[in-house]
Amino acid sequence: MMADVLLEITALSRQFGGLRAVDDVTAEIRQGELVGLIGPNGAGKTTLFNLISGFTPPSSGSVVFRGQNLAGMKPHQVSRLGMARTFQNLRIFPNMTVFDNVSVGAVGALGYGLRHGLLADAKRAEAISARAWNALERVGLADLAGELAANLSYGKRKYLEIARALATDPVLLILDEPAAGLNDTETAELAHFIKRLHADGGTILLVEHDMGLVMSICQRVMVLASGAKIADAAPNEVQADPVVLEAYLGIDDEEDA
Amino acid sequence: MAVNASKPLLRQLGLLAVLFGAIPAALTLIGGGYPFQVGITALIFVTLAVSLNLVTGTAGLLSLGHAGFFGVGAYAAALTATKLHWPFLLTLPFAGLVAAALGVIVALPTMRLISIYFAVATLGVGEMIHVSLLNWVSFTRGPMGIRSIPPIEILGFDLSGVVGGYYVAAVVAALAIFAVHRLTHSYYGNALRSLREDDQCAAAMGLNPVRLKIEAFAVSCAIAGIAGAVYAHTASFISPDSFRFEESILILAMIVVGGLGSVPGAIVGSVLLIVLPEVLRGIGDFRMIAVGVFMFLSILFLPKGLLGEASAIGLARRQLGAAWRGDIGAGWK
Repeated sequence: MMADVLLEITALSRQFGGLRAVDDVTAEIRQGELVGLIGPNGAGKTTLFNLISGFTPPSSGSVVFRGQNLAGMKPHQVSRLGMARTFQNLRIFPNMTVFDNVSVGAVGALGYGLRHGLLADAKRAEAISARAWNALERVGLADLAGELAANLSYGKRKYLEIARALATDPVLLILDEPAAGLNDTETAELAHFIKRLHADGGTILLVEHDMGLVMSICQRVMVLASGAKIADAAPNEVQADPVVLEAYLGIDDEEDA
Repeated sequence: MAVNASKPLLRQLGLLAVLFGAIPAALTLIGGGYPFQVGITALIFVTLAVSLNLVTGTAGLLSLGHAGFFGVGAYAAALTATKLHWPFLLTLPFAGLVAAALGVIVALPTMRLISIYFAVATLGVGEMIHVSLLNWVSFTRGPMGIRSIPPIEILGFDLSGVVGGYYVAAVVAALAIFAVHRLTHSYYGNALRSLREDDQCAAAMGLNPVRLKIEAFAVSCAIAGIAGAVYAHTASFISPDSFRFEESILILAMIVVGGLGSVPGAIVGSVLLIVLPEVLRGIGDFRMIAVGVFMFLSILFLPKGLLGEASAIGLARRQLGAAWRGDIGAGWK
């Protein structure tokens, strides 16, 4: 039996001036999948990502998430539907503690408004605290809870970002180039961690620039080149696909700082 | 555990005892009338500073027109009290309401702007308010100001003297501090701080940045308006001169010196910048230079303020028992 389709992208395009950053992409993600999205620099991965999460409106085409068309939705509305994302260039809240960073995800999902603040809604605060703590424990940052986020190492900030996304209790988690800037050991640890998230029942879309990580952990890999989807298959098939090899030719083992 | 749980309560009661007992006692000892007058001014500016701190310090929206909303509240109270003979208990909330409504009107089109443009927009609004108060003579009496604003009387109790005025200003300041404390030292505060740090990222976490900013701004303006009502009724005379850009900058300086985002910092900063010039009266015209030097040095040596945000938040968590888990200083109750 086929699992439910969570995310359905149909003929999605985005034009920036004369540039077609995303060109007629059709794809779907099913419940429980761990899918990779790869492509060379400038292939349109981040644009596609921003289209899906509501940060950029599409020029044409549609994105349907959990049966709802996301057209015209703002990022916070998309997030409340259960889609959480991390950012390629690490966007944490530096002047807040590790715990407070993560709590923002829980606040966004559970809600804690003016009224709750003024009336000191203890029950709601407790639910947020518990969820933030749980997310911190899942990424292994619980012992740094009271530390200012600005004091964390680069690698730990990555996990902080993931914890913040997990605190929204997402149905679909999209990781934007989580391995960027990590060394081989750290990347291997991250691979292990993502696999565990997936094993715990998460549906994950992993957007990566580097093939290695995606090929080693994903069940299915989509390849983007010049804004168009050129492959969508199991890792071993994708690796043998001549079209993919050509798109990556000469740049397949480039800088991976 | 029981002992630990009662400690924060004792501390809060202690703070109230200082505000309502120790300070008035000290002011009486120093010499009655004038010191109480300074006390009232300080409390009004404490109220203004904590309210500005919510929107500028915590939510990161630089507002350069706060004195304008203070003025709108003062005029709303003065006009309803003199023309419609409303009692203080009515003019006070009305002043807050009018200022908040104006805040929402200003915020709706400007909250989508990036920070510096919002700052310039509030600067313009502050100027517009001042110029309106000055030139709309038929309504505000323009530069002549409004005279004989009735003194404070609550349910038959005459609080017209400076001591009565002090207690009213103290109650209003305490309530404003409590409200801002609740909003700052809670998950609502975390939401506002996350907007200041990175509002796009906060949106990706499910927060609605525009709505939150408008809300915070409206609350801030409401408190400023209420402070205006206290000012109008305790001063009995108001004129547009008290609500200029200079006052907006003074309130901003208070929260910067105290520590942006820090509630105790806003209190300390405003008390210092009101009391210091009074204490220094002995050195005559040099006193404003001395105050300037103090501000310059405090920013030079303590750029995060006398009581920076991080330490203020730690204080709220540990001393006032606002933490979810006090042992690791994390979360909010």
